[in-house]
This record gives sequence, C-alpha cells and structure tokens, in this order.
Amino acid sequence: MIAPTVDDLQAITEQVWLSYLDPEGTDPLLPLPVEAPAAGVAASVSVTGAWDGHVVFTCSREASLRAASALLGVPADEVTADDVADAVGELVNVIGGNVKSLLPDGCLLSLPHVVTGEAAASGRWPAAVEVCRLQGVWGAEPVAVGVWASKTTET
Amino acid sequence: MKILIADDSRVMRQIVTRTLRQAGFGGHDLVEAADGRQAFDKVVEERPDLVLSDWNMPEMTGIEALRALRAGGHDVPFGFVTSEGTDEMRQMAESAGALFLITKPFTADTFSDVLGPMLG
Repeated sequence: MIAPTVDDLQAITEQVWLSYLDPEGTDPLLPLPVEAPAAGVAASVSVTGAWDGHVVFTCSREASLRAASALLGVPADEVTADDVADAVGELVNVIGGNVKSLLPDGCLLSLPHVVTGEAAASGRWPAAVEVCRLQGVWGAEPVAVGVWASKTTET
Repeated sequence: MKILIADDSRVMRQIVTRTLRQAGFGGHDLVEAADGRQAFDKVVEERPDLVLSDWNMPEMTGIEALRALRAGGHDVPFGFVTSEGTDEMRQMAESAGALFLITKPFTADTFSDVLGPMLG
C-alpha cells in the first residue's frame, strides 16, 4: 500500500510555511531529530475510504500562538483560544489535504479536530501505526507532523 | 464586483481576503459564508458575481452547495479554494460546473493567474 514519507511531509510543510507562516523565507520550520516535548496543541484530520488513517499536527502552545498571529495578521497577545483552534485546525486541514492527494482515489478527509492543554499530549490511535513523522523546530518551538495508518490499511 | 468567500475557517477567509488584496484584487466587495448552507443562502440573497468556496465544510459541502445552486438555476461563476486537489476532485468540480480549483496552500501569484481573467 502506498504511504506518505517524511520527504512528502517536508515538501508539504515547506509550502505551507512559505505560503502562510514564513512568506519571506526567513523563519522556516527546521527539521530536527529532537525528542518532542509534551504537546500544547494537537490537531488531526482523518482519512477514510481506500486508505484509512490520520494526519496529526502537534506543537507547543507558543508555536500555536505564533501560527494564529501570523495567519490572522494580529499581535500574538490578541490571539484568543478560538483563534488558535481555528488556525491550527486549518493548518492540519491543509497538510492533510495534501497528504490525501498522495493516496489512492476514493478517500474522504474529515473536518479537523483540535485539542489543547494537557489532553493534547495524551491522544492515542490504538488501531493505527505511525508510518512517518516530520519533527522540527520553528524558532525555538517544537512542531511535528505525523501520519498514522490504520492497521487494516497497513496489512 | 461582489465576491462571496465561503470557508468554515475564519482564519482561511481572512487569508483569502488578504491574498485577493495582495494579488491586486482589493477593490471588490466581499461577502463571507461559514459553511455550504450559508454559501447557498448568500448567493440567493446577495447575488455575488463570483464564489470562492472551500470544499470540506459542515452543514453542506462546497460541492453540494454548487450542485444545489445549479439545480436551482443559479449560474454564478463558482470556483473552489481547497486543500484537496486530486484529479478525482477536479473532475467532480468541473462536472458540477466549477470554473477552477485552487489548492491550498496558495500564493498571490496563483490567485493572480487564475482569477485575473475574471477580475481584471
């Protein structure tokens, strides 16, 4: 079964950063094999159909505030919790949509689901396995994107 | 011209608005809808000259809204701005009557190339 790779995730996130978060190209997401600290925000979309799985975006609370600030064009101290959920949900929607384009026809993409606070670090997908993961830092803040395939899809 | 921007994300509606301005299309009247149902209603009420719609939205998806509009006799120029750009979806969009499909992430250059012929 075709599965996205970390190179795919890197190409997709580069485009997202250049289009929305770092248009000047001076503050990119830098891939680093760092151990991710507990996430402050976790956002996911699910893919169902010919391929079943999840695309999961996690980052620190500070990174989520920066993202919402950049996307909305407002100072970070004016960003609300709803802004963060909307911004991070849209980021995972865009990344997930591009991941879906690498998968077989006949898949559906869900609307995003966003979790903040302590619960963000405890998300589990017991029926799926992580098939690739891009991990890095944006500024000094941790950001990660993982693709999880259902065990049924994998086999 | 009046342009309807339909997306369930307020952040994305703002990005589309900003990108229209960056692409040189800042002088148009903009109307917003937060889901496909609202998009359908706003087309009927506001009579926009162009619809820029997300695909995956609650209540009614973008493609459902487009099909409902065409079934109701509304021939407003309609294009998708969506994170999903597979050949399968492009064919569905085209057969439902969409003029174009812009994939997210997009840039001002993309908007300029695709929308220039319509918005001048």
